[in-house]
Amino acid sequence: MSDIGSDGVLAGVKELSPAKKLFMHLSVFIILFGGWELGSRLGHVNELIMPAPTSIAYRLYEMFFVTGSIYWHYIITMYEAVMGFIIGVSIGMGLAISAAISPVFRRYWAPYAVVFNVTPGIAVTPFIIAWFGFGYSSKIALAALVCFFPPFINTLTGLLHIDKDATELFRSLGATKRQYFIKCQIPTATPIIIAGLKLAMTGALIGTVVAQFFSASEGVGILMQRFAFRLNMDGSFAALIVMSLMGLSLFTLMEYMDYKVIYWRRHSRMEEVSAKRKRKWTMAE
Amino acid sequence: MSMDNEAQVSNIELAADYKGSTGGAVIRHTIIFFVLMFIWEMANRTGFSNPLLLPRPTEVVASIWKIYVTQGNVWYHLWVTFKEAMLGCFIGCVVGIGLAVAAVLSDTFRQFLKPYIIIVEATPRIAVGPIFVTWFGFGMSSKVALAALVCFFAPFVNTITGLLGVEEESYELFRSLGATRRQVFWRLMIPTALPTMNAGLKLAVGSAFGGALVAEFISAQAGMGILMARYTMSLNMPSAFAGLLSITLYGFLLFRTMEVIDKQVLYWLSDDLMTKKSAKRKIKFHKEISV
Amino acid sequence: MADDIVIQGDGLRKQFTETVIAVEDAKFTIPRGSFISLVGPSGCGKSTLLRLISGLIEKTDGDLLVRNSEVVGPRSDIGMMFQKAVLLDWRTAIENVLLPDEIRGTVSPEAKKKAWDHLHLVGLQDFEFSFPRQLSGGMQQRVALARLLQTGADIMLLDEPFGALDEFTRERLNVELLKIVDDPNITTVFVTHNISEAIFLGDQVFVMTPRPGRIAAQIEIDLPKPRTIDLETTPEFQAYVQQVRDVLASHLEDQPL
Repeated sequence: MSDIGSDGVLAGVKELSPAKKLFMHLSVFIILFGGWELGSRLGHVNELIMPAPTSIAYRLYEMFFVTGSIYWHYIITMYEAVMGFIIGVSIGMGLAISAAISPVFRRYWAPYAVVFNVTPGIAVTPFIIAWFGFGYSSKIALAALVCFFPPFINTLTGLLHIDKDATELFRSLGATKRQYFIKCQIPTATPIIIAGLKLAMTGALIGTVVAQFFSASEGVGILMQRFAFRLNMDGSFAALIVMSLMGLSLFTLMEYMDYKVIYWRRHSRMEEVSAKRKRKWTMAE
Repeated sequence: MSMDNEAQVSNIELAADYKGSTGGAVIRHTIIFFVLMFIWEMANRTGFSNPLLLPRPTEVVASIWKIYVTQGNVWYHLWVTFKEAMLGCFIGCVVGIGLAVAAVLSDTFRQFLKPYIIIVEATPRIAVGPIFVTWFGFGMSSKVALAALVCFFAPFVNTITGLLGVEEESYELFRSLGATRRQVFWRLMIPTALPTMNAGLKLAVGSAFGGALVAEFISAQAGMGILMARYTMSLNMPSAFAGLLSITLYGFLLFRTMEVIDKQVLYWLSDDLMTKKSAKRKIKFHKEISV
Repeated sequence: MADDIVIQGDGLRKQFTETVIAVEDAKFTIPRGSFISLVGPSGCGKSTLLRLISGLIEKTDGDLLVRNSEVVGPRSDIGMMFQKAVLLDWRTAIENVLLPDEIRGTVSPEAKKKAWDHLHLVGLQDFEFSFPRQLSGGMQQRVALARLLQTGADIMLLDEPFGALDEFTRERLNVELLKIVDDPNITTVFVTHNISEAIFLGDQVFVMTPRPGRIAAQIEIDLPKPRTIDLETTPEFQAYVQQVRDVLASHLEDQPL
């Protein structure tokens, strides 16, 4: 329906100006956290259960700028999660590509993939710790294990779900298997592969943190567990916020990659890329 | 909403591929499985792999017999974890779907929620485990709470996606017929969203088990998580493997149950169920009306 | 307003945003029992005009009267049909036809009987209890037509109802549609971007041109009834086609498509 405005029951979200939006969100934020703070100050909220926002903020400030104790834990956790992510994604995508190329492999691997799918990856934590010990490697291994499935299944789905007409076009042009793979399958599958990578990123962080809970001497996960068990709730919440920040930064990274790589799905990016290619084209002339 | 749902729905496909295999394939799969197990067993017996870390298949089988029959201790732990996960899953789904419905019905609420959704999505929610254990104690409630927290997100996102996926023309039809908001919601939006919502529920069941297990790792007296942790800590790997296999088996059974329910509920997506249903409704109609 | 005028617009205008004017200064009268074709390229505002009449969207300015009363919202004497069949997948054909009654709370054995008859009228005997996914595209639109009949509306607004179907199915459905709405009490407005279809069906063809959407011409079609497919090859028919093309061409000259 190109020539009518959408005004269904729900589609009628009024687009507010950015300033108004910001104001709205800020006011909600202030009311929410102001109320919480006030509740704490007036003793309606038990500080031992829900520490006041300001005490959490103070603990954060302390961690980052006074003692600087958080940085090491932060770096360790990031390292473990990213390494696990890289390993898990490589294995997942490698398996998926083999399965996409070889129907025989796909057939014999399928039951094991189902087993992997129904077992929560983090259930394997005790084994990983027993096998890899208490150091970094067990965290990396668990991160890899927890995150390998989404890239696997998404890559496989993306590579196999090619429009039949596109396949026929490539065959009619006499494309080799390799050309078909690189010029058709891979680009078509890219959006769904990246969606899998996004899920994997979160998974890697989860794996790392859970392995840290189980046994670790360093990392944001163990830090927050120690704080919680000592009933130092503001410290624990501060560590949780650090973890959120970590997740958000990794998430933003993935979003950025999505934005850069899948340029053909966004109008602004298409304009950008088409201008660039035009320049290149005319220069070559 | 920026969430990509393609990924969350696609898990089922591989299973479908698997189902397509014939009797002959099952035999081939079984043979390959036993060959693999035999190699593993031999590698272990000849000392190529460390039996302390990777126990022999025969030992694992013996342990399964032990924990299920002779000792019989696994039943209790299974029941504990199952209870925690299911209760948590129920709470998580109710909260998730409730929030999603509110977010879909009220544009303002959806706007308010948006930044928080992104934060909640990016945070490893399972990390709240230690805080929950501190809040709710070492008993069952902390596990239920973590399971609920971990699993609420998939039904939440899928419900929103499903409800917002109703086509403009369907709304126009209902409005042109003078339908009330309630009629639009129950007769159009909910059934349209049901397939996506069910996919979210399926994911929730799986992650609820993960949540319960992690909470048990952190601190528990009973449950599969603590049972496996105890076995691995004492390097009783065969029993630990038996425990893990149980989780896989029950995970699989639960997953299949959900798929069966899914198919029955979404009868209009299955050819044979449609045929059955339409015959039934025909009989009912003719009983009532003579034409 | 004369009694036999059902729909009347004057200076009718619909503006979505500052730059998007979908309908501008539309003036028209639609007599009772007539079949109006609304033809034009996509983006010319024909769907918007249809939705204004149906009360699904509000006008920005001007007058729009249906049966001498201002259009303020959807009304029960107006029924709609869309390019998509918009059937509920979880209901059988007959249950879909009964939807208007369910929404109005008028389900009764008589209504059910009527739904049955409507399905037979549109040629769907033996498919009353099939689910939409078991039906072809053409059959799905037949169910949608039966549902439109079930509403009991005597003003029927059709928005490219057969636009997604193949040529053969569309021709057949057009002929059947003409038979069904050939009733002095039923007024039909039919949106299409197919010139031949518009002329073949219409007593009058409104030609619309885009940016802003205007009714550029209102052409009386004086061709014998009942219309049959062979009509399309006659010189008279071709002359009408040329007339519509000329109107569109004079407005579209400088616009990229």
